Amino acid sequence: MTSVLEVKNLKTYFFTEEGIIKAVDDVSFNVPKGTALGLVGESGCGKTVTAMSITRLISAPGRIVGGEILFNGYDLLSKSEKEMRQVRGAQIAMVFQEPMTALNPVLQVGFQIAETVLAHQNVSKREAWARAVEAMRAVSIPDAENRAKDYPHRLSGGMRQRIMIAMALVCHPALIIADEPTTAIDVTIQAQILELLDSLREQYQLSLILISHDLGVVAEVAETVAVMYAGKIVEIGPVMDIFHNPKHPYTEGLLRSVPRLGSSAQKRDRLEVIEGMVPNLLRLPDGCSFAPRCYKRTLECTLSPIPLEHVSRSHGARCIHA
Amino acid sequence: MPDRAEPLLSVRNLKKYFPIRRGVFSRIAAYVKAVDDIGFDINKGETFGLVGESGCGKTTAGRAILRLIEPDAGTIRFDGVNLLQLRKHELRRKRRDMQLIFQDPYASLNPRMTIRSIVGEPFAIHRLAGGLEREHRVADLLNIVGLDPAMMNRYPHEFSGGQRQRIGIARALALKPKLIVADEPVSALDVSIQAQIINLLADLQQQFGLTYLFISHAIPVIEHISTRIGVMYLGKLVEVGTSAQICLAPKHPYTQALLSAVPTPDPAAKKRRIVLRGEVPTPINPPSGCRFHTRCPIAVERCKTEEPPLRQIEAGRDVSCHLV
Repeated sequence: MTSVLEVKNLKTYFFTEEGIIKAVDDVSFNVPKGTALGLVGESGCGKTVTAMSITRLISAPGRIVGGEILFNGYDLLSKSEKEMRQVRGAQIAMVFQEPMTALNPVLQVGFQIAETVLAHQNVSKREAWARAVEAMRAVSIPDAENRAKDYPHRLSGGMRQRIMIAMALVCHPALIIADEPTTAIDVTIQAQILELLDSLREQYQLSLILISHDLGVVAEVAETVAVMYAGKIVEIGPVMDIFHNPKHPYTEGLLRSVPRLGSSAQKRDRLEVIEGMVPNLLRLPDGCSFAPRCYKRTLECTLSPIPLEHVSRSHGARCIHA
Repeated sequence: MPDRAEPLLSVRNLKKYFPIRRGVFSRIAAYVKAVDDIGFDINKGETFGLVGESGCGKTTAGRAILRLIEPDAGTIRFDGVNLLQLRKHELRRKRRDMQLIFQDPYASLNPRMTIRSIVGEPFAIHRLAGGLEREHRVADLLNIVGLDPAMMNRYPHEFSGGQRQRIGIARALALKPKLIVADEPVSALDVSIQAQIINLLADLQQQFGLTYLFISHAIPVIEHISTRIGVMYLGKLVEVGTSAQICLAPKHPYTQALLSAVPTPDPAAKKRRIVLRGEVPTPINPPSGCRFHTRCPIAVERCKTEEPPLRQIEAGRDVSCHLV
C-alpha cells in the first residue's frame, strides 16, 4: 500500500529561556492511503506538536530542527511558505478540538466553508457557496441551505464540529488531521461524529491522523496506533497488538489505569496506577524517559537512550524489556 | 425497610429554575428548568453517582443541595435537618459537614495564596484551630492526600494538575465533613493521574467513612466509584439503581443509548451502538410528556403527552418510562 504520509525522524524543539524543550524528538511513522493512525498520549507528550509540524504551523520559539515529512512523496519541509499554503486546507486539512474558538463568530458558517474553496480553487463565489452547502450535506447537517446562513453561536457543539469537518472535507483533501475532535462533545453526540468520520473515510478514501487521549475513541477508529511519551513514540503497531498485546510498560499502564464500562460485574478493586508524573521536558532523565515511573526498570534503562525496536514485523516498542 | 438507618442525605422534589429576563424592565420571559423535581437518598458511607450529558442539570443539582444556589422548591434532609429551613448562621455551621471538590484544579485555588493558607482557610473561616495547631493540622492533611508537607509554603502554580486536585481534596477534608460533593473531580486530569485521584478518593472514603455525591459525565468512572447511580436527562432523573443495575442491565432507553455510546478501549469489541437522532432539546422549553420522546427509539403516542413518573420496577431500581 502506498503511503500518503511518511514522517521520518521528525524533531521539533522549542528554544526557551530556560533551555531547549524537545517536544517532538525523533518521531517516525507512516500513514498508508485510506487508513487511520491514532496518536495517543497524555498532555505535553508532543502529539499536537507533531500534527502542527506536519502542517508546518510551528512558530517561534519552536522550530523543526530535523527529519523529513513526505506527503505523497514530496518533502513538505523543503516547500516554501507559499507552496505550503496550497497544501494546508486543500490537501491536508485539520479539525480542531474547540469548534467554538476555531470558527469566526461574526461570519456565516457557510461563508467560512466557502472561503476555504475560494482560497484554493478558481471558482465563482456562487459555486463556492454551493460546494459549502454540499459539504454540509455530506456531514449530515439537516436543512443545509438555511443552516449555511447561520452564525456559529446559533449551532450546538455537535453541529459546530460537523461544520469543522465539512470545512476540512470541502476541498477533498488526501489527509485529515483531527486533534481531539470529540473531546469537547457529549458521548451521544460523539457517537454520531465517530460514525460520520467512519462513513466519510470510506466514501472519500480519506486518510486520517486522529489525536486523542481517549483510548476508547482510538480503539474504535484507528488501524494503527502510536503511543507517545515525553516527545517520543514509545510504541507503535496495529491497533489489535497495541490493545491486546502491549509491549511497552507505559502502554500497559495506560490501558490498565482506565476504568472500563462493565467493571461492576466484578469485585470492585482499586485501579492500577502509574506512579509519579510526567517528567519535565527540560530535565529529562538519561536513558528511558519513562524509567522513573516504570515497574520493569533496571540499571540498564537509565544509562543511555533506548531505541525503538521491532517486537514483530509491524509492531515496535522503545523498551529493552519488551 | 425498618431496620435501615436513616439516609445521610435525602433529597425530595428539588427544583431550580433560572429566570431568563428580557427587555428594558427585565421582565421574566421564560425559565430554564435546570433541575425539575428530582429526588434520591444517599446512605452513610456510600457513593452516589450523578451522570448525564452537559446541560442535564447535574451540577446545578449538586450546588442546590449544598445551597450554594438557592433551590426553588423541595426538601433536602441532611444529617437529620432540612437544610432549606436553616437560617444563615445555622447553615454556616452545618456547612462544615458538607464540602465541595471542583472540576478545574487550575481555577479553584487562589493563585496568590500559599498551600498553607489554602488548606488552612476552612479553620480560619470557622474559627477553629489556630497558630501552631493549625499548622500541624495542615501538615497532617497534606500527608493524608499524598503531598509532602514541606511544600506548604509554595503557591498553586508550582504544582501539577494532579497535585492541585490533591490540594483541593485536602481543603475539603479539613473540617472532617460527612458529605463531599465532587463535581467532575477527575475530568481535567490525564488518564494516569485520574486513576491516582480516584484511588485516593476511595481510600479516604474507607479511612474516614465519607459519603460522596460524585457528579460526572464519564460513565466508566462513575461506574467504578459509585455504589448507586442516578441518570439525568434535561433536569429529570430518568433512572436510579445500583452501579451494576445501571451499567450492566440499563432499562431506560436513554440510559441504554448513553451506555452504548461509550467507546470501549478494546478494538475487538463489536458492539451494537444505539445512535440517538438529533440533539438534546433546550431546557427552556422541554418537550411535553416524556422529555426524551423526541430522541427515543421506542417512543409511542402516549410518551408525547403523558409524563412518566419515576417508579420502582424492581428492588433498588427506579425508572421513568411508560414502556419499561
